[in-house]
Amino acid sequence: MARFLFLAIAALGLLAALGTVLARDLVRAGLHLVAFFFCVACLFVVLEAEFLAAAQVLIYIGAVAILLMFGIMLTRNAAGGEADLSGGWRVPAILAGLAVFAALAFGINNTVSPAGAGPWARVVERPALEPADAAWKAERSRAIDDMPRVVGEQFMTRYALAFELAGLLLTAALVGAVALAREDEAADSVAEPEPGAEARPPVATSPRPSTTTAP
Amino acid sequence: MNNDIPLSWFLYFSAASFAIGLTGVLLRRNAVAVLMAIEIMLNAANVNLVAFWRYGTPAAGSGPMPGVILALLVITVAAAEVAVGLGLILLCYRRWRAVDVDRYDTLSG
Repeated sequence: MARFLFLAIAALGLLAALGTVLARDLVRAGLHLVAFFFCVACLFVVLEAEFLAAAQVLIYIGAVAILLMFGIMLTRNAAGGEADLSGGWRVPAILAGLAVFAALAFGINNTVSPAGAGPWARVVERPALEPADAAWKAERSRAIDDMPRVVGEQFMTRYALAFELAGLLLTAALVGAVALAREDEAADSVAEPEPGAEARPPVATSPRPSTTTAP
Repeated sequence: MNNDIPLSWFLYFSAASFAIGLTGVLLRRNAVAVLMAIEIMLNAANVNLVAFWRYGTPAAGSGPMPGVILALLVITVAAAEVAVGLGLILLCYRRWRAVDVDRYDTLSG
């Protein structure tokens, strides 16, 4: 039953990913992306990380996909024929994708895992947590049963520095995004170089003449 | 006879979606579509992280959920990346009136 469920979710997810990559209409690609995010959230539920699934739905579907939709709406191509696939690079791109998949499949099937654990393909079941005979089993079953609380505790104790850095990164990125996308005279003034910037005498060893001209 | 899902199935799903995302990055010309393909790749990495967390036995003193925490941080970074990326794309769209990544060739001599 679990296997059937996984196969259904994975097939839907891969189809949605293919649709994202191949759809000509960008809005349709965005909706396929939402489906892919939802399939990944379902996989998180299968992996017993329900809090992560909730975070995935909230952040990816609720924020990132909507932001991408706004990006699509705001940047319609003036000259038509939008969302073309790049013609000459189609075969090399598909070859690169296949090569990466082959390399990853090789890594899954051969011994690259650490410390003599054998290939990953030999791990066929998750470790049982039921007889809590080791400390990590009790820890992990508490983490699964009470994931939001444990995530909060971990972020406040063990990963406090990473938590602060993530907050700083988000603040800087959002303020920077607003500063970038602001529509006023700042967009014009960055186009022209400063008048005193080119005051140095030209170096004789420069191979090509400067082609940048101030407007 | 156990009915649990093998770890390698998750790894194959993740590898396939990563390859699809990489193909999308190389194939699409629209900058927003390239961002979407990057999101697919980040999600594939997240599936890998959580699968290894659930199927592996942890090293001593590594905490109860290192994979989940790392996946949450990846989600955070992805959100920040989309915000900054869309800001840059809007800026480029205003200047060139196009969102095709092969039109942004001002720096190429």
